[in-house]
Amino acid sequence: MKDEAVTAASLGLVSCEACQLLSRPANRHEPGYCRRCGEKLEFRREKSIGNTWALVIAATICYIPANALPIFTTTTLGEEEPDTILSGVAFLYTSGSWPLALIVLIASVMIPLGKLAALAYLLITVQRGSIANNRERTQLYRIVEFIGRWSMLDVFVAAFTVALVQLQPLTSVAPGAGVLFFAAVVVLTMLAAEAFDARLIWDANAPGSADHG
Amino acid sequence: MRGSSGTQTLRVPPIMAEEPDLSSVPEAAVTRKKRLRISIVWIIPVLAALVAIGIAIQRIRSEGPNITIVMKGAEGIEAGKTFIRYKDVRIGLVSAVELSEDYSKVLVKAKIAKYAAGLMVTDAKFWVVEPRISLSGISGLSTLLSGNYIGFQAGKSSETQTLFFALDEAPVITDEPGRQFVLKTPTLGSLGVGTPIYYRRLNVGQVTTYALAPDGQSVDVTIFIHAPYDKYVTTETRFWNVSGVNITLNSEGVQVRTESIAALLAGGIAFDVPEFAKAGAGAAPAKAQFTLYRYRAIAMKEPDPFERRYVLYFNESVRGLSTGAPVTLFGLQVGEVTDVGLDFDRKTQVFRPRVIVTLYPERLVAELPTGQRIRAGKSMADMSGDERMGLLRRIVEQQGLRAQLRTGSLLTGELYVAFEYFPDAAKVQIDWTKDPVELPVVPGSLASIEAKLGSILTKIDKMPLDAIGRDVRAALASLDTTLKDASTLVNRVDTQWVPEGTKTLEDLRRAINDANRVVQNADATLFSKDSPAPQDLRDTLQEVTRAARSIRVLVDYLERHPDVLIRGKPAEKQ
Repeated sequence: MKDEAVTAASLGLVSCEACQLLSRPANRHEPGYCRRCGEKLEFRREKSIGNTWALVIAATICYIPANALPIFTTTTLGEEEPDTILSGVAFLYTSGSWPLALIVLIASVMIPLGKLAALAYLLITVQRGSIANNRERTQLYRIVEFIGRWSMLDVFVAAFTVALVQLQPLTSVAPGAGVLFFAAVVVLTMLAAEAFDARLIWDANAPGSADHG
Repeated sequence: MRGSSGTQTLRVPPIMAEEPDLSSVPEAAVTRKKRLRISIVWIIPVLAALVAIGIAIQRIRSEGPNITIVMKGAEGIEAGKTFIRYKDVRIGLVSAVELSEDYSKVLVKAKIAKYAAGLMVTDAKFWVVEPRISLSGISGLSTLLSGNYIGFQAGKSSETQTLFFALDEAPVITDEPGRQFVLKTPTLGSLGVGTPIYYRRLNVGQVTTYALAPDGQSVDVTIFIHAPYDKYVTTETRFWNVSGVNITLNSEGVQVRTESIAALLAGGIAFDVPEFAKAGAGAAPAKAQFTLYRYRAIAMKEPDPFERRYVLYFNESVRGLSTGAPVTLFGLQVGEVTDVGLDFDRKTQVFRPRVIVTLYPERLVAELPTGQRIRAGKSMADMSGDERMGLLRRIVEQQGLRAQLRTGSLLTGELYVAFEYFPDAAKVQIDWTKDPVELPVVPGSLASIEAKLGSILTKIDKMPLDAIGRDVRAALASLDTTLKDASTLVNRVDTQWVPEGTKTLEDLRRAINDANRVVQNADATLFSKDSPAPQDLRDTLQEVTRAARSIRVLVDYLERHPDVLIRGKPAEKQ
C-alpha cells in the first residue's frame, strides 16, 4: 500500500474508540471525553506497543510450560499416565484418529503459536514504521482478535473431562499444571490483541507521521 | 574532584557587570520532562518468566540420576511405561530401551526420582518382575494390568553408580525380617520359586531361589523363613518335601496325608525338629545348610551312629532288588541295600551280582528290652572295632549267619536281603581284610526251589533213557509185527469168511422172506373177509358153542337129576 491517506491524528482530530465519533480534541495532550458517548478520547492508546509486547512476551513464556507440563493425568486402575498436549496429539495420531489429532494440533498448538507470531509481526512492523501490506496486516489483526474468543475451548474441554471422568476406582482424570499455563497463554494473547492499537498500522503511512509510544 | 572537595570553599565566579547573551541557554521546562517509564504491564511477563523458571528449576532439582541397566532381554519393557519399583513405590521410569554396541545386550535407560537417588549404589539390584501364575497362586498380579516392571533392591554400599546389570531372577528377600537357609536336594522335583514352607501346617516362608550346586551333584534350594518363625529352625531341624500326597497302606489302614491342597498341587516343604533331637538346640545361623529329605519318615528317622558296609555275592538273579531295599535280621530291619552291581571273579572267570548292604547295628540294639538295650548299647559303644568284628566272625563262621535273597512281595517281585541263621550251612572263612567285608550267602528260597528242581532234573538225566528207549523201540517193533499178523488175519477173515457169511446171510434172508410170504398167505387165506375159511370157522365155532351149551344143559340136568343116569329120563309130563 503505497497510497497515502490522512489519519485523524495527522489532522489533529481524534476518533472515539467506542462510537467512532470524530471530534476535535480539547487539548493536544488531553483530548478529553467523547461528547456523544462519554468515552475517554485518545489519539493513540497509551503505551500500546509496549503493553502489547509485554503481554506477548508473557504469553510466549507461558506457552513453553503449557506444552511441556501435562494437561491431564489419567489414572487408570492405579496407573497414572500424564499427558501433555503434544503427547495427546501423538496418541490420537497413532491410535488412528488423525482428524482429531489435526484438530487438537491446530486448536491447541498452532493457533496460540500463530497468534503470538502474528502479534509479534504486527508490533515489529509498526515499530519499524513499515508501510507495506497495511490492509493485510489489519486483516491479520482482525483474525487474531476474532480467534481469541474461541481459544479457551481446550481449557473448557479439559475442565469438562476432569469433571466428568471421575470413576474413582477405575479411571479418573486430574488436571495438570499445563492447563493453567495454557489458559494463561490464551488470556494473555487476548489481552495483547486488545492492547494493540490497530490504528498504529496506518500511522506510518500518514503524512507527517507522529512519533508514537 | 580531590581539589574541589579538599578546599571546602565554593569558588563562585565574580558576576560580570554587563549581561551576556543567554538566548542560547535552554529554558527550563515548567513540567517535568516525561521520563521513559516502564509500563506496569511488564510485570506480567516478568511474573510469567519467574513462574516458568521456578517450575523449570523445580523440575531440574527434582530430577534424579539417569541410570543404565544392562539386561539380556527387554521382554515387556517399554520406554515411558515401565517403572522401577522399590517396595511398590515407583522410584523411576524407563526412558529408553536400546541395544548395546555389540547388539548382544539390552541397555535400559531409566530416570530415577530425586528422592531415590541415594539408592543407586553399587550393590543395588535390578530385575524384571513378570506375572507368574502357578498352582500355588498368582504372583505379581499387578503386572498383569501394568505390564512388567523392574524390581529393585537397595544395596548397603554408599558409593553411587549409574550402570547396573540386571539379575536374571528376583533376588532373595533380604530386607524382610526372617532368615534364609539352604536346602540340599538331589533333584528339584516339583519345587519352584515361591513354593511354600510349612511349619506345623502354617505357611511360614517360601522358596526364594534354587540353583545347581557348583559340583552339579545336587540342587541348592534357598528358602526364606519369615520372622518370627525362623527361630524354630534350629541346628536339629529337619526339612522334608511335602509335595503331593503321602499314602501309607499298612495294618492300620490307609492313611492319606497332605500338607495342604496347594502343597498337593504345587509342592511344599515342611520342617520340624525330630523327637530324639537334643533339647535346646540353638537357632540355626542364617544361610545354614540342611538336607531336604524325601518325606517325613526319612527326615525324622534317627541317624545311625554306626554303619558298616558289607558286600554280598549272590549266585542268582537280583532282579527286583533295588537300592534302598531293606536288610533284615529275623525280619527286623537292620540296614539297607546301598548298591546293586556286578562283579567279575578273575579266578573263576564268572560274572556274579554284587550287592552292597549297609548295616546299622544300633537299630538292633534299639529292639532289645530296655535293660538289655542299655547294656548292649554300652558294651557296643565300648567295643573296639576288632571286638565288634570278632563278634560278627563268631556269629557268621560258627553260628551260621547267612544272607539270603527273599521275595518281599509276590505281586511286584521286590526282593530284600534277609540274614538268618543256617546252622547246616557249610562253614566259611571270611576275609576280614577286605573292605567291604564279604559275607557268605545262601541261595534264596526261590533259588533253593530252583536248586531242588535242578537236582530232580539231574536225576532224570541220569536215568538209562537211551536203553529204555531202545527196549521200548524193540517192544514196539514186535508189537508192530503182531499187529501186522493180526491185520493179515483180519484181512483173511475179511476176504474168505465174510463172503461165505454174506452168502449164508443171503440164503437166510431168502428163507425168512419165504417164511414171511407163507405166513402172509396163511393170513390171507385164513383171515381175509372173502375167504371161506373164516365162515367155516365161525360156523364151526357156533357149532362148538352150541355143543358146549348142550353139554352144560346136560351137566346141569345131571346135577339136578343124577338118577337119570340110572333110571333114565322120565317121560315128559303133559
